[in-house]
Amino acid sequence: MLTRQISVAAPIFLLIFLIQEAIVSQFRLPGGGFSILLIFALTWAVLSQQEVAAVIGFAAGFLMDLSQSAAGPFGQWTLIMLLAGYAISYIGYGDDNVHANAIGIVFFVVAANFFVEIAFLVTGALLGVSTGSFGQIVINLIGMSIWALLVSPIMLPVFTKLHGLIFDSRSAL
Amino acid sequence: MRNGGEGRARLLLVILIVTSLFLITLDLRGVKVLEGFKQGTQTVLSPFQRAGAVVLRPVGNFFSDVTHLGRTRGQIEKLEAENANLKIKLLNRKNADGQLDQLKDILDLAGTAGYKVVNAKVISHGSSQSFSQTLTIDSGSNAGIKKNMTVLSQFGLAGVVKDVYPNSALIQLASDPAFKVGARIAGSQQIGILSGRGTRSASLQLLDNSTEVKEGDVLLARGSIANRPFVPGVPLGFITKVDNSAGAVAQTASVRYYTNFSTLGVVAIVVSGPTSNPGDALVPQKPRVTPIPTVTVTVTPSPTPSN
Repeated sequence: MLTRQISVAAPIFLLIFLIQEAIVSQFRLPGGGFSILLIFALTWAVLSQQEVAAVIGFAAGFLMDLSQSAAGPFGQWTLIMLLAGYAISYIGYGDDNVHANAIGIVFFVVAANFFVEIAFLVTGALLGVSTGSFGQIVINLIGMSIWALLVSPIMLPVFTKLHGLIFDSRSAL
Repeated sequence: MRNGGEGRARLLLVILIVTSLFLITLDLRGVKVLEGFKQGTQTVLSPFQRAGAVVLRPVGNFFSDVTHLGRTRGQIEKLEAENANLKIKLLNRKNADGQLDQLKDILDLAGTAGYKVVNAKVISHGSSQSFSQTLTIDSGSNAGIKKNMTVLSQFGLAGVVKDVYPNSALIQLASDPAFKVGARIAGSQQIGILSGRGTRSASLQLLDNSTEVKEGDVLLARGSIANRPFVPGVPLGFITKVDNSAGAVAQTASVRYYTNFSTLGVVAIVVSGPTSNPGDALVPQKPRVTPIPTVTVTVTPSPTPSN
């Protein structure tokens, strides 16, 4: 069951990754911009069970590590996204306050986006990744959260519909 | 758990965590397999990025231009479409003219110093999600570009080649927080290390406390052995603020790069350095103030007719 779902979801992940690398990255957006792959993975993680969310996080993190702009060692994003996916699903799955309304999901995705970036900074500091001045980090964190807040509601119907089609759940909004 | 119980989920989680840690360990130990993965991905992605750059840059410019000009409402639909079409053509032309200007300045800079350069177009800006500052260009190893080569903009240093693929290359911008370059102050020849901060501003740490530096001092690249990663004499930026804290081991200063990293459209990669050190030959000239002519108006009362 899980294998079939993953094999169907894989091309979607690759497509989103392609969109991120070929289209979104063409624009140097203020405040650090956004990662559509990150928002996509976090949205799906909110809607999925723990084990599925962990696999989703793993796949998204692996692709983020493959991105040429990824700083830090290969595997850092994989580990962070895997744990983030599991944690988000653990907190949010089954909770109708989060699950049953779009605002709950958007809030969860934006908050998760913020904490994932914090996790990247913390693990990056441990692994010796340079991340810039404190002021610039704060600007980027705020900017990325605002972008996530703007992009998530627009993409939410598409992402939830895709999730509903593949995982055959009742999560499509 | 619906599909097999908590034990299975935990096992899966443990396997994935171990795999991630395994990947990190492999990367930190410098295993080349992962490099190959990344190279393969970039080889596949670069045609899409190139296509994206061709399609999206004029569109992006078009929208920004329209915002600046203000919308004219109430026009006939056909005329609006025609107008937009013409505007895209004009912007394409402006875009090409802009790139041509950048290219001309880069070639002037490279020619003065005797650098042999390969020019390339920027096809993608890296995401800031990882707090890094990179961009991708449309030339790679097929054009003679190698890792650790100096990248120039029309104003000076833009960055360094971080990774090379057959038809594209990844550039680490000088603004990247992990970027460091040996610098010397034009004139005094004092040396130091310039580090990126994630913005157009950088920090300079001088190696010697004996000489004084002042605001406005120009920084040039010191150059590396065999001219890689940095050729000597490339203008870096100028000092904007000197930190003279008492008790500091070394003097530090804030530096503003000459290159505006957000407007890079064309860059040049130095494939062969100069035969002799260009010294201070590339120090940018300070802008000259053009004197504004003073116009003196003398008012002479016209003679009143006598009665």
